[in-house]
Amino acid sequence: MPADFLDRFSRGNTVCHRMPARLKIVLTLSVIFVSIVLPASYWPAQGCLACLVFAALSLAEIPIAYLARRILLILPLVLMTALAAPLSHGFASGWETAFGIVFRTLVAFLAALWLVNTTPFDRLLAGLCRLGMPRLFATLLAFVYRYLFVLFDELARMRTAQRARTFGPGPVKTAWKSRVQLVGTLLIRALDRAERVHGAMCARGWRGKMHSLN
Amino acid sequence: MHITDGYLSAEVSIGAGLIAAGALGLSLSKLNQTLSLRTVPLTGMMAAVIFAGQMIKFPLLAAPAYGHLLGGVLAAVVVGPWAGCVALALVLFLQMALFADGGWLAYGANVLNMGVVGALGGYAIYSFIRARVQGRKGIVAGAVIAAWTSVIAGSTLFCIEFALSHPDGSLDLSMLFTLMTSFHSLIGVGEALITGGIVSYILAVRPDLIQEPLSRRGAVAGLGRIVGTGAVAALAVAAFIAPFAAEGADGLEAVAQRLQFDALEWKPWAPLLSDYEVPIPGVDYSSGFWQKLSVSLAGVLGTSAVLCMTFAFGRFSKPRLADQDAGPSHAG
Repeated sequence: MPADFLDRFSRGNTVCHRMPARLKIVLTLSVIFVSIVLPASYWPAQGCLACLVFAALSLAEIPIAYLARRILLILPLVLMTALAAPLSHGFASGWETAFGIVFRTLVAFLAALWLVNTTPFDRLLAGLCRLGMPRLFATLLAFVYRYLFVLFDELARMRTAQRARTFGPGPVKTAWKSRVQLVGTLLIRALDRAERVHGAMCARGWRGKMHSLN
Repeated sequence: MHITDGYLSAEVSIGAGLIAAGALGLSLSKLNQTLSLRTVPLTGMMAAVIFAGQMIKFPLLAAPAYGHLLGGVLAAVVVGPWAGCVALALVLFLQMALFADGGWLAYGANVLNMGVVGALGGYAIYSFIRARVQGRKGIVAGAVIAAWTSVIAGSTLFCIEFALSHPDGSLDLSMLFTLMTSFHSLIGVGEALITGGIVSYILAVRPDLIQEPLSRRGAVAGLGRIVGTGAVAALAVAAFIAPFAAEGADGLEAVAQRLQFDALEWKPWAPLLSDYEVPIPGVDYSSGFWQKLSVSLAGVLGTSAVLCMTFAFGRFSKPRLADQDAGPSHAG
């Protein structure tokens, strides 16, 4: 697996990427909070927030095609949920609530995309730790992030092997069966691996606390 | 399934966050008591498996659409409820911090709807059934029913959170219930199929991973199990009752008015109850009939599908140790 397949744009070198992680987290959370608290009738303020977030995104040189694709993916669900308000009034009123939901969701989503795509996961985690995230939870997150790459490699190997032994996806029932076996095997192997990793950690003096260089 | 920021109001997000933080803290302390040094590798690896497993797409009958695993019940069945709850919280955090799936302020609500209801509530139902049905059949039936119920319960909880976020009466709760429940009873059938399949596969290949007695993994004890089962089952049932209850609530209000009990109105549920009122007079009421029909149809279809699955998995998950050599456990 390439090292950046989970966070493709976050290792760039722009002003936004060089900002300290803590500042970015606080900025993003406050933008999201303000956009949620603003009532729907304050839509010009919401628009200003959107412009701000969009400027930050373009400063971070995040491709617009990527942003468009992400927005298109969440838009159907957002619209469906937002339409629940006018739908329950027979489309006579409730449009303000619906527009409010759509605006808020888009601004908050874009702000979150900016944070995620300008901060690599390790630095994000270090920043969150200094903002008071519990140590045990951070340790767990670091562990999961490290072993995700191992498990994705394992999954890729198993899929290659499975493809090598079969001619095609087959009917739906076969496809389900082979995928269920794929996940099941991954689970069994991962639990065995957890035992081995636990032994190795204990052998290296693991006492329940992670030491980091930051 | 992930709630993005903007659906829920700040108050509801913070309230759900506090509940989720409490459940997560409890799970972590329980884990440290039972697993001690093994907490990090075991829980972390389980989370990584669910994260990777969610990338595997299961084709639906209609070709271009795909379903995937959600994993709350699967994690709880394999590593126990507390580790399962933490694992789900980790998965949700990574999806939020790597892909911006699910909002930062709505993280608590996401953990509550999927992690706490999925793993803790799902496990309560699973152990309730497993204690009554013997052997492999009980394990698979418990997992299948718990998977379906927890998906419905999660969607109901989302509806309640969504309605509490818009207390000004701009939303008709029963309409939202109809949409979400019909949608999620399908997702729930997929989740039940995948969970049942994986559990019966593990039972066939490595039964030692699942078949230990319940008490050895810090099971939800006595009262907790009853409360958990009751709460999740009630949420699931509420999804199908809600459209009908709209009339019941109106009736209740009418009775209250007649008896002049208005002053005794129970405040915390006031926003919920007022949403049941039909907002505009003169709207065609017959549309309500189809709405109710579709919800009950979804409920009946979903329940019968889950029962069929339980039966089928119970039938076919016979021990299969002999052909392990040829099995895909040696893939790759």
